[in-house]
Amino acid sequence: MGFLTILKKLRQKEKEMRILMLGLDNAGKTTILKRFNGEPIDTISPTLGFNIKTLEHKGFKLNIWDVGGQKSLRSYWKNYFESTDGVVWVVDSADGRRLADCARELHTLLREERLVGATLLVLANKSDLPGALSLQQIREALDLDSIKTHHWRIVGCSAVTGENLLDGMDWMLDDIASRIFTLD
Amino acid sequence: MSLVGKKCESISLHESNKDDVILSEFTPEDVLRLDRITDIYLCSPEANVYDIDFTRFKIRDLETGTVLFEIAKPPTDFSVDNESSDDVPEEQLDPNAGRFVRYQFTPQFLKLKTVGATVEFTVGARPVNHFRMIEKHFFRDTLLKTFDFEFGFCIPFSRNTCEHIYEFPTLPPDLVEEMIAAPFETCSDSFYFVDNHLVMHNKADYAYNGGINN
Repeated sequence: MGFLTILKKLRQKEKEMRILMLGLDNAGKTTILKRFNGEPIDTISPTLGFNIKTLEHKGFKLNIWDVGGQKSLRSYWKNYFESTDGVVWVVDSADGRRLADCARELHTLLREERLVGATLLVLANKSDLPGALSLQQIREALDLDSIKTHHWRIVGCSAVTGENLLDGMDWMLDDIASRIFTLD
Repeated sequence: MSLVGKKCESISLHESNKDDVILSEFTPEDVLRLDRITDIYLCSPEANVYDIDFTRFKIRDLETGTVLFEIAKPPTDFSVDNESSDDVPEEQLDPNAGRFVRYQFTPQFLKLKTVGATVEFTVGARPVNHFRMIEKHFFRDTLLKTFDFEFGFCIPFSRNTCEHIYEFPTLPPDLVEEMIAAPFETCSDSFYFVDNHLVMHNKADYAYNGGINN
């Protein structure tokens, strides 16, 4: 029995997944997390640390880490990479001005050794706002098509209306599950 | 996750006369083995050298979205006390103030299906590694539930939240009756470890007879 087999067996017991939500400040990470868990989203202040949710969804035990995106906090992101199965990269679709910044941070992240193999879900949030860039524009600005090292998908969504959030998450969970858990 | 906790040199005691600080020797394995509520706090308040401060507790019902319970420290309140501002100065000096919370619920609480329990905490100037919580809930000598969760790393001066959303354990009806009839005999111990060192120990007790007697 190989090491990978043992790992798979261990993880399968609990069907546990670790999801890391990152992105620039004000992208809407915490709002998405709260919306996903049915919490009110009217009083959300900048995250100066992390927000964790542990929950069961579709038979999986999810541990979701939302870490603050302010510039001063980004150097701490690396402390949360270990054992991550999926990365949710949240983009503010209406913030064209910082899209280059956003692309640079994303590609730095993807070079990280401890995230090798993690599934990447790009959530183009605030897609309902007037002036929001199209999915195609964001896909190009973030140079997503150059990513060969990770399974990835981009989904346009709105944390306020909840549109597409669940679809995006479910795609990611299925992708992780097909990699990690042995199928009977 | 955490494999070998590295020793944290700055909280180790030298043979000097710092005997007011009692360094706890209890390990996560020790507290996981406990089969009843402890009689004493297993570490002193001074063991919290990371200035970890719990600033909010919240319980919500996922079925209805209702917040069932919430206490929060005002953001600029530096006192230890997080209860109402009754003028009882002596209580403010109690070294264990803030380590104990008393919850009073109605019997309906025990019928909940899915609840979300949130804690919010701040940390001080030092980075916190391998922050782990082990919480054990007992009714008398019966273990009801154990939480064992690793927060991992905490950023210096950060404010963090963690919500555990879980199915309420299904308890036998006669146990539920007993718990309602015996207020505050349901208790919990919360142990917090940094790098496998016990840095905080909080206690709580619970009554489920709210609205029954009066």
